Amino acid sequence: MDSTDNTTETAPGGPAGDAPAPRSRWAAVQPWVTLAARVALAGILGYAAYSKLPVALSIQSVEAYDLFPDPVNEFIGITLPLLEFALALLLLVGLATRYAGAATGLLMLVFIAGIVSAWARGLNIDCGCFGTGGPVAPGETAYGVDIARDIGFLALAGIVMVWPRSPLSLDRFAGLYR
Amino acid sequence: MSKAARREARERIKQQRLAEERKRKRNKILVIGAAVVVVALILGGGYFWFASDRDGGDTEIALPPQTLQQDGSVVLAKEGAQAPVVEVYADFQCPACKQFETASGSTLQQMAAAGEAVVHYRPVSIFALQPDPISTNSLRGAAAARAAADAGKYVEYNDILFENQPVEGRPGFAVEDLKKWGEEAGITDPAFAERVDAEAAVAERFAKEYAPALVQDAQQQMSDQQIGAMPVTDLIAWGDENGHDSSFLDDTYVQQVLQATTDVNARYSGAQAFSGTPTVYLNGQKMGDEMYSASGLRDAVAAAGPGEVQSEPLESGDGAEAEEDGDGGGKKDGDAAEDENEDASASPEAKE
Repeated sequence: MDSTDNTTETAPGGPAGDAPAPRSRWAAVQPWVTLAARVALAGILGYAAYSKLPVALSIQSVEAYDLFPDPVNEFIGITLPLLEFALALLLLVGLATRYAGAATGLLMLVFIAGIVSAWARGLNIDCGCFGTGGPVAPGETAYGVDIARDIGFLALAGIVMVWPRSPLSLDRFAGLYR
Repeated sequence: MSKAARREARERIKQQRLAEERKRKRNKILVIGAAVVVVALILGGGYFWFASDRDGGDTEIALPPQTLQQDGSVVLAKEGAQAPVVEVYADFQCPACKQFETASGSTLQQMAAAGEAVVHYRPVSIFALQPDPISTNSLRGAAAARAAADAGKYVEYNDILFENQPVEGRPGFAVEDLKKWGEEAGITDPAFAERVDAEAAVAERFAKEYAPALVQDAQQQMSDQQIGAMPVTDLIAWGDENGHDSSFLDDTYVQQVLQATTDVNARYSGAQAFSGTPTVYLNGQKMGDEMYSASGLRDAVAAAGPGEVQSEPLESGDGAEAEEDGDGGGKKDGDAAEDENEDASASPEAKE
């Protein structure tokens, strides 16, 4: 899976004459791109988690989607900000970067599906992505913008998942993705 | 270098590589394991923390006496309690109010029972001019709760209504249900069911016929912004002068809850201004997010001194007399409020 992570420079087997392939510009830039994506996602998720509190209002945001029975809404409402916070932490310190990126991308897909379903059913709600959701006046919905934003976040998560190699990460400390 | 030596060197390098590969694999498993543990700790610990700070369900407690006030609000307090006053302004159709009740409702009742707080329930309707069924649900619910207060069962009824809150925009609080819930709350007086029927008809007429026509007419002469900033009772007064007879509202609980909504906007201004529902005041100071957790609420109340209830009790328990001074009561209710009234320019019809 991470065969691409092993760049030739540290490979012990190749002291022989074959000249190392000239490193592309992307190879030089990529770790910093990933670092930026990691930190940005961590900030976004951390803020999203914080702004959903108190959990009573986070539960209300979930309820507004009118998808689940109350106990499930309560479970999601409490768990979601915690999950966002946990992923933010992993991305910030760079622990299991690839998997944290994948999980974040998956979460974004779930969010997009939820917003699409609210839109399709003609609900008038705030997505509750940041801050408190719940009903809004007809015409005050912003589903298109919300989905576009989540697609942007999905792209960031994709970068982290596909190119997990980045400086300032615990993964690197543990010898992964060098 | 001999052939054998070369083979040996190659073999050694291969072994080295394999060892490194194994080490990398092991580290990867360790890293993923560590990440899983971190996530599990945050989710598990956080869930436990948040869930334990919620009331979660209805713990049955012996309620202290509840006293109906002249303005239709209800005070829940232990006999002779000198304690901080917690004023709860809520709309029965407002989802955040339901969350507040779920998270903190029984904590409030427990504190009232223990004499640690005086809880002042002040139902309002911020949705009166919203499209049906949001408006009718809000008004019908509030009027039924007021009828339950006549029977001394406001607090019990309040809890049942929030448990059964309709999803916003969906029909709910059906008249038959409202009556059935009255029985569940322990109301036996047949006057309750009669009142619920009568008030439901008023709410229906208000929200479906009277208000749309009134707003349409008002829009000819005022901007939507002006209308939105106007207390509904002011709009009704404007209507009376412009051919929209509101006499069907006289002496109804629908009218009383509309008046209560106007009054709270006049009662508080500036930083303390009423800003939609739920708004909770602790001795007149607006509470923040701490009101949504049992511990936050308890700590805030424990740190506050005794307060004064800002309304007068209705002397007789007779509902009919309540209506007599209902109009006057609404104004009498806030001597202090009336003074404030002048400079209260805050936009009254706060959105949720």
